[in-house]
Amino acid sequence: MKRRTLVGIAACAVMAMTAPLMAADWKPDGSLTMQIGFGAGGSTDTMGRVLAKVMEDQTGWNVIAENKTGGGGVAMFTGIAKMPPRGTVIGLGVNMPILVNLVRRGDELPFDLESFDYLGTISKAELALVAAADAPFDDLPGMIAHAKENANMPVAFGAPPQKLLMDVAARTTGAEFNMVTTEGGAESMKLVLGGQVLAAFSSGEHFPHAEAGTMKVIAAGNAQRLSYAPDAGTFVEAGVNAYVDPYFYLATTKGTDAEALAAISGAIENALASPEVIEIVNNAIKNDPLNLGPDGTKAMMVDGLANVGVLFAK
Amino acid sequence: MVELSTILAGFGDAFSLINLAYVLLGVVIGQFVGAVPGIGPVMAMAIAVPFTFALDPLPAIAFLIGVNKGGLVGGAVPAVLMNTPGTPDAAATALDGYPLAKSGKPLKATKMALFSSVTGDTFSDIVLITVSAPMAILALKMGPVEILALMIFAFSVLAGLVGNSLVKGIIAAALGLLFATIGSDPENYTPRLIFGMWDLYDGLPLASVAIGMLAISEILRRLSETGGKVEAAIDLIDTGNPDDRRVTWDEYWSCRYVMLRGAVTGTILGALPGIGSTAAAFMSYAFTKAASDDPQSFGKGNIKGIAAAESANSAVVGANLIPLLTLGIPGSVGAALIISAFMIHGLQPGPLLFENQGRLVYGLFGAMIMANFINLWVGQLGLRFWVKVVTAPISVIFSSAILMCIVGVSMATSGLFGVAVMLVFAGLGYLMASFGYSLVIFIIAFFLGPRLEISVAQSLALTNGDLSQILRYPVAVALLVMSVVAVAYLLWRNQAIQRLEQKDDANV
Repeated sequence: MKRRTLVGIAACAVMAMTAPLMAADWKPDGSLTMQIGFGAGGSTDTMGRVLAKVMEDQTGWNVIAENKTGGGGVAMFTGIAKMPPRGTVIGLGVNMPILVNLVRRGDELPFDLESFDYLGTISKAELALVAAADAPFDDLPGMIAHAKENANMPVAFGAPPQKLLMDVAARTTGAEFNMVTTEGGAESMKLVLGGQVLAAFSSGEHFPHAEAGTMKVIAAGNAQRLSYAPDAGTFVEAGVNAYVDPYFYLATTKGTDAEALAAISGAIENALASPEVIEIVNNAIKNDPLNLGPDGTKAMMVDGLANVGVLFAK
Repeated sequence: MVELSTILAGFGDAFSLINLAYVLLGVVIGQFVGAVPGIGPVMAMAIAVPFTFALDPLPAIAFLIGVNKGGLVGGAVPAVLMNTPGTPDAAATALDGYPLAKSGKPLKATKMALFSSVTGDTFSDIVLITVSAPMAILALKMGPVEILALMIFAFSVLAGLVGNSLVKGIIAAALGLLFATIGSDPENYTPRLIFGMWDLYDGLPLASVAIGMLAISEILRRLSETGGKVEAAIDLIDTGNPDDRRVTWDEYWSCRYVMLRGAVTGTILGALPGIGSTAAAFMSYAFTKAASDDPQSFGKGNIKGIAAAESANSAVVGANLIPLLTLGIPGSVGAALIISAFMIHGLQPGPLLFENQGRLVYGLFGAMIMANFINLWVGQLGLRFWVKVVTAPISVIFSSAILMCIVGVSMATSGLFGVAVMLVFAGLGYLMASFGYSLVIFIIAFFLGPRLEISVAQSLALTNGDLSQILRYPVAVALLVMSVVAVAYLLWRNQAIQRLEQKDDANV
């Protein structure tokens, strides 16, 4: 409880300091819609809905959260890219699906990175490769060795970047994996617990099982080691030159009025500093909020596109 | 093992006035949005989730459970009274519910739906409260290969619903599976059949297809039949016999095995994430029809058909909480939203939930029991209201229903694209129904299609594409054998029924 109070005080202090920076006169014409690129009930949806509610409470604007699914945000950002820039609709998505599709079929997409004005990020997601506690390996080199010795090495994945990481691992090391597709982290965890797969990717779904001692972290899929499991090495450390850094980010249509951009990104910044949002981000992805700001978000997307290009290079 | 004192404390927490109020509110909202075609409890829950932040965890989750459970009862209302199910799991209820309502007994039909829904729900809640841990282990042991075999078994049981023409049934199923392949493939995420429309990347919006096919197409058909006459959507015939307006104990008791079978089917399918309540409702209906001495009476207002469908689809919802609370795995969108409510309050369902939050979990169980009773009570009152509503002129009822469907779908899919898809499928549904193709078969195939494809992909990956490896999975082999037997039996029986019907026709 003490920590929460401290965070609260810190948040209030940050808010007090940043408040004057906000363009106080601008407000959306009607309501501000936050389109969430994922379905109801996931971690993006939960964080987005709470963020929208806190923004509404803090600014007095009418902020509506709605889900717009399709291609992990591609459909939602397609809509936003085509809209007139009125400053009334913003999108919340994850960078990876957008970047992967831009690399793989950029010519088919009606937008590129320049089609948006970026508003900020909520946080970075951490991607772990996990296994059952009694799995016959403890780290990625061990798992690769196990795959080479055994005919079957089933690994569950629930999104394209996860499969890419294992594809690069297979290419680099010559090990073969039985890649088992799932609908997402929760189903992947079920397969690990049921013993049908030996390893699986998790963006937080394994926490209760790690706590119960039934699962362990094998490797970190990000560029850096995981904040909650600093002992597990990354793919890069194991000699597999690949990583993914998924960010939850917000953007709107290119050409939106500068005053509106400043007001909205300021509102996001303030809301991210609120104890409610800090708490929900902690709860949803076991990480603190991390706002790269408008410029930092754009830089993250541009660098990310180059990195994803490397993942696909054969 | 959770201590008795924790259990009692949990139940003690649940039975407070404030929780009662939230559960009641949840049930009322759930029944209302369930009964209005187009909106549905899932959307109501999605909107309500962030507002539960301000509440304590127990009333927050109790409220959402109330909405979820209320929605189940409400969902049967438009299916029975207007033959326009708002969700595909209520489509099975409409098969016998609507004919019974049309014959002047709408209160009897809706009450039977209410009673069997609450019965199935209570059964699965009892399973959840008492033996969720072993059930969860059982669910874990059902791997992709077993699930694939189970889905094949589900499809083969549904052969019993094919109706008069086997060929038309197969065409409807194939069409459903074809539409299910629209969107990204599950292994390499390559877009299929989307023609540049990225809104289709995750597949056709389920709400649009279900409501377009089941509700709007039926409304179109009925409108074309009225020919501009002003008449009530349903006739309340007062026969003077009060038994036509209620379900007698004898009727309820005669359905005990039907409801038990439905509840068991629903509980098993609910404990296995991903298959869903639609399959459970139709499987239970098909089982009941196959086991009946008088299969011809199904589809013509047999009260057992209602009991079979409603007990099964309601049992799924309670059972969905088995993998959710014990493993943190949601079996449906509704369950995923309950997880997100847990998450908002800093709780993550998983193997330690009972140990760390035993009091909250048993509080939740208390709230569920409360919700079941309130569901029964609010349902009794609400049904009279809904039955009154549908005695309004057909022009008023159907035009407002179409409006609600458009509003609901545009909300569920965030835009008019989903509405356009709904209208396309309304047209397709109208045509298919006019030419005697089963919409029900289409919808089941469409809803099970994506899961079937993932299961095939998973099984192939696990067995290295070697079919003979299936022998290593005895449960799967048993299910496949049962599938063959079921198909053979049901097709033979289907033909026998047809011969009987032809003989009846000849006699007339």
